[in-house]
Amino acid sequence: MSQAATDKPNSPEPKRSNGFKISRRAFLGVSGGVAAAVLAVVLALKRPKLAEPVETQTDKVVAADDLISTSCLNCPTRCAIQVRRVQTTAGKTKVVKISGNPASTYSEGKCCSRSHVGLQVLYNPDRFQTPLKRVGGTKGRDVNYDADFAPVSWETALQDVASKLTSPEKLLILQGLNTTSNEDLIRQFALAYGTRNLFDEEGLETAADREGKMLADGRSNSGYEMVSEDGISTKYILAFSSGIVESERPLARNLRLWGKIRRELPNKTRVVSFDPRYSVTASRADEWLPINPGSEGALAMAIAHVILSEGLYDTDFVNDHTDGFNDFSTLARTRRFSPESVSGISGVPADTIRRVAREFAQSRPAVAWSGEAATSWPYGTLASHAIYCLNALVGSIDVPGGIVYQQYPDYQPMPTSGLPITETGITFREMADLLRDGAVNAAIGFSSNLIMSVPESREDGRWDELLKNDNFFYVHVGPAKSEMAAYADYILPACTYLEDWGYESAIPGSGYAEVRIKQPVIAPRDESRPTARTVFDLATILGRRDFFLPPSSGISGDSKEFPEEFAAYRTSLFIAWSDFRWSESKKDNTGVWKGSSYSYRNYAFGTPSGKFEFHSSHLEYLLNVGLPGEGTDYPLELAIYRPVLEIRSGSQNFPWAQEMYLVMHGRGWRNLVEINRETAHEHGVGEGDEVVIESPYGEIEGEARVVEGMQPGVVAIATGQGHFASGEFADGMGCNPMDVIGTEYDEESGQPSFFSTRVRIRKA
Amino acid sequence: MANWSMVIDLDKCVGCQACSLACKAENNVPHGSPYEHKRHHDIFWHKVIAAWEGEYPAVNTQIIPMPCMHCEHPPCVNVCPSKATYKRGDGIVMQNFRRCLGCRYCIVACPYGARSFNFKDQADEEYQRPDLPKDLGLSNEGHIGPWPYPHRTRGVVEKCTYCFHRIDQALEDGEEVGSKLDGHHGVLPACVEACPTEARYFGDLDDPESAVSKLLASRSFIKLREEMLTSPKTIYLPR
Amino acid sequence: MQVSFAPVKGNSRNYNILVGVLIGLVAAGVAAWGIAYAYGFRLWGVNNSVTWGQLITVDFFFIGLSAGSLVVSSLVYVFGQEKYKPIGRMAVYMGLLLMMGAMFTVISDLGRPEKCWRLFMYFYLSNMKSMFGINGIFYAGYILLLGTYLVAALSGSKLTKFIAPVAVLWAMLVHMGTGAIVGFIETRHVMYSPMKPIEFVSAAFASGLALVTFLSYLTLRITKRPINKDMFVSLGKLLVVLILILMVLVAVDKLTHFYPPKREAIMFLIAGPWAWIFWLQVILGYFIPLGILCNPWLRKKVGWVIAACAICVVGIFFERAAIIFPGLSQPLEYYPGEIAGIWGARGGFPIMPAETFQTLGIVALLGVLFVLGLKFMDLTPAPDEGEHAEAGPAEQAAPAAEGGQT
Repeated sequence: MSQAATDKPNSPEPKRSNGFKISRRAFLGVSGGVAAAVLAVVLALKRPKLAEPVETQTDKVVAADDLISTSCLNCPTRCAIQVRRVQTTAGKTKVVKISGNPASTYSEGKCCSRSHVGLQVLYNPDRFQTPLKRVGGTKGRDVNYDADFAPVSWETALQDVASKLTSPEKLLILQGLNTTSNEDLIRQFALAYGTRNLFDEEGLETAADREGKMLADGRSNSGYEMVSEDGISTKYILAFSSGIVESERPLARNLRLWGKIRRELPNKTRVVSFDPRYSVTASRADEWLPINPGSEGALAMAIAHVILSEGLYDTDFVNDHTDGFNDFSTLARTRRFSPESVSGISGVPADTIRRVAREFAQSRPAVAWSGEAATSWPYGTLASHAIYCLNALVGSIDVPGGIVYQQYPDYQPMPTSGLPITETGITFREMADLLRDGAVNAAIGFSSNLIMSVPESREDGRWDELLKNDNFFYVHVGPAKSEMAAYADYILPACTYLEDWGYESAIPGSGYAEVRIKQPVIAPRDESRPTARTVFDLATILGRRDFFLPPSSGISGDSKEFPEEFAAYRTSLFIAWSDFRWSESKKDNTGVWKGSSYSYRNYAFGTPSGKFEFHSSHLEYLLNVGLPGEGTDYPLELAIYRPVLEIRSGSQNFPWAQEMYLVMHGRGWRNLVEINRETAHEHGVGEGDEVVIESPYGEIEGEARVVEGMQPGVVAIATGQGHFASGEFADGMGCNPMDVIGTEYDEESGQPSFFSTRVRIRKA
Repeated sequence: MANWSMVIDLDKCVGCQACSLACKAENNVPHGSPYEHKRHHDIFWHKVIAAWEGEYPAVNTQIIPMPCMHCEHPPCVNVCPSKATYKRGDGIVMQNFRRCLGCRYCIVACPYGARSFNFKDQADEEYQRPDLPKDLGLSNEGHIGPWPYPHRTRGVVEKCTYCFHRIDQALEDGEEVGSKLDGHHGVLPACVEACPTEARYFGDLDDPESAVSKLLASRSFIKLREEMLTSPKTIYLPR
Repeated sequence: MQVSFAPVKGNSRNYNILVGVLIGLVAAGVAAWGIAYAYGFRLWGVNNSVTWGQLITVDFFFIGLSAGSLVVSSLVYVFGQEKYKPIGRMAVYMGLLLMMGAMFTVISDLGRPEKCWRLFMYFYLSNMKSMFGINGIFYAGYILLLGTYLVAALSGSKLTKFIAPVAVLWAMLVHMGTGAIVGFIETRHVMYSPMKPIEFVSAAFASGLALVTFLSYLTLRITKRPINKDMFVSLGKLLVVLILILMVLVAVDKLTHFYPPKREAIMFLIAGPWAWIFWLQVILGYFIPLGILCNPWLRKKVGWVIAACAICVVGIFFERAAIIFPGLSQPLEYYPGEIAGIWGARGGFPIMPAETFQTLGIVALLGVLFVLGLKFMDLTPAPDEGEHAEAGPAEQAAPAAEGGQT
């Protein structure tokens, strides 16, 4: 029976109940045929080829591919860099890569990780395109750049701004991170304008450290050489809460020399890190010794106690070049500063203190390296001084591999006025008092980042209230959206450092001078202008341009040429501009000038005695150390730290830096509330919990990160996040710990204390 | 034919991530976003990991930069159906976008998480790189197909290439390739060049005079996930 | 035994609604795929950790079901067991559809689906070390084989005697190859095992048999065709054997990996964040069906047998998922210690609408092809004129007299 069905040929069976006039077989046959045909076509078109030819580029797209030497400005180190710029036949210019400049011996041709983010600084989508005038809205956190500001021409903006700057004593000049040349110009502007109210924001974190050192040597240009030009290296680094390989300037030099001292030179440098946090530096060191925050100064004295008691100090240096040693020694050797005593307040066992002190004194040259976390305290100057004195005790001052004093070249002089403006301007405390007293009612900020960097930065805090006030006139000169710009009445777009002219002096570290050019890799975008030009134009309108036109300087007075002419003039004593800057005919100019080699043991101290002065008065204040974890109201101590990828120019709107922000925690796009595991457990906090950190000054929210590497009772938060007006890659991410930090001052330097605020934690 | 290898000194590395950033810039690797970070969609040719051990106060964190390992026996090459990923004569494991189907089998097979998939197209204006591709008849044997820029598309997998474009261009131009212990290096991959502490070295394993050979002879070294027997050519010098 | 086959009428309202709904889902699936193609896979749940998701899970599942469907057909065409004849053709058709569905799934899962031809047309020029490459050959051959098998079966040709055993053996090869895709990957410890190919085949047979039993029963019930209760009960008994074999294989594999000291992978699987998938696999796939089918009273009741089959199918779906999701989610141990942050985090997998609709769309596509196939091909046994006769027009009687007798 079954045969009957199968033997039948393709006969259409019109009576199929579904109304199709086609048989199964026909249907299948046709589809099979179609499929086979399709297959054949595809096979023919896409037949397998064993070796595919290499694609070659037939149209030449690239017209020029140049390496321009300039310098970075993502942190105060200002490394020499080389920037690759590509120009297409269609006339498009693109900056594609940043690398170190091999001509710079300062960092042996290296730049740190931040330099690479320069591409995103340049191509930041949230840059200002034109000058802007505020036409409405509230200043600060509720800023809406599009609605609150209207574009105006440069002439209008400059005239308006100049017309508002009528009383010099009522003006405050804020300086964020600017080029050396722009810093010189801003200072010149203050001079020209007649105000000494110049505040350098770098002082927010360095003033106390500086002051402590100045007390000892009367200089403000000391640095840690690490390795001399002849290859003599530090043999022992005792880091006091110092982020040597993550935040301490000059970072790129520190990094390069770190590699050298650890693995390239015959005797490996030993590094011991006192730190409440298991920082990157602590993790790289040979030993991490957890300490209670704020006990660095006491520890330094305890180490001095051991060195002095056991006679391990450098008698030659002490006898020949120091003053005040006897009083200092007497004080240090008292029982209060004994290791046993200091052990109680620092959390470091007495035996360890003794051992470290002996190791330190017996490895020459040894260096005691203080950090921001050690000195941003109410007695920060004293802590810095005590730590610095250790270097003197072991004879590391002005020796190869020890402390060196940075040389600077002779710059051509600029006209002066007799106004006593120092390089760093007024102190933070002075500035805060001026503002509080209403003594100033206007400010002009040059890449200022003030509102993100001061204590009590929170909304409705004293700074927010002050800047928000409509009667406070603020002009922001900077390249991109930022929190300070959100408070501005006028915004004058500055070009980024890759579009700017200038010169950069190497900061303390190498001893020998080094100057790096700043030259535009690409023309300033839109209507942004070099800050130098803006300063010159303002000065011109204010009738003070002669302060910027030294006679026979060759500066033409054409404001467009001024930035380059100024830089060329200032550097002309030591280098010819045509040998310095890049040009089509001189593409090999390195853009780096190096001064003569450093000569050691000059001991040119700037103190009254002409010697290194050991100060001992008030050092007992260093024993006032609060203990973390104690107290019922606010039991925890808040520590802040600056991870390497915090771009120190104020903006953080850079996705490459953001997406890998915290390397120790494998996280990006935010900061974390880092807490010791046991402490977290005590407070009912688990890994990843949303938590609230509360101080008497406010509260912030964040995500908890439970770690072993933290002193119990201490909570650490990285800075650089918590932005609200910088752009899509930074706003609304993480928190700003400054919001909950209260205002206390270091007496001597007027620097705010960032570490003395106690907090409590709870789950959100 | 060289046998390229990268040696990373974990004692010198300080986790600054200059390597990761230089790689991003050099190879036009797109950035992510908080959402993509959370979803693990972001593209990293090079990552730096931190491995924590110990309890307070005896804590130990290893910071380990991880490019592609360019294994001698790459599991990814085994599993790629279309031979989009293949090992070159000089040992570099390459990726050919044109052949890649986006099946992601290589991501499944890679023991080192070196590979990333393109979950979206990238905004053209952000990633225009007129300088890429930059090759004219590369003579290096085994090179098939163009490299992925300037226009990477969604749906394909990408990974570190030991900056083969730099190496090939250097060999074309008659320049030296590789690190030198005296600091006068030849042409290097971007991550090696960028490392501020000079923790990274690159060179020819088959040349006993090369920096990498000498380093591997003078110090103990480790390879990641050695038990996998992938024989990676990215080798580490422990602390 | 003479069984005559006839197509389903397919003009009832319910039928049209069913087809309409399925076509709607297919359209939604196509739209979802189109959107994902245009915007990229960021719309899916996959990521750089869990890089395969719903689609590959369904792919493995369908390949398995396809291979397993041939079990029933082999009973008919290889072993000549006449009593299974009524569902033999449906089984072959399901086998073909499921395999095509699996291919749609794989192709639409590719980042660049327009290059899919490389998988199926390069043959030995693809990478023959890659299981994807080898499988390309296996799958292509398998589909052609199934197509031929179906045609032969529909025409009642004697060729089925030769094609059927080849098809079944090829099906085993296909699914062992599929198992090898995951089993050969040492990186993913949860997946890595020499048992995987065999385990996959065993799971395929169990789930395939269960699916054919379930779906054919459902079809016969809805289309009011004659139902041989004994046949279904005996299929249930067969399923017991297949599940037991599968359980043994799974148990041996897991126990091997559980043996100390290296057991992180197994602990991640059975006690980690994805453990619920594994336990659903075990409970729904093995315990409950066995509980029903070994119970002396329940196993004789067709309703319970069918329920057990349905539950078994769902359980085996979770078996596939248990390989993919925990397998890929387990963080890779680059270095000893706790790797911080995203690099050490386990992979997550959110259920995203684009991916879900696409998966459902493919399932619906198979559904609609099956339902339409019932209408246009002689897959179902002809309705009885006796007890099970449906009140149909005279047309029903004519085909029974004329064509399609086996």
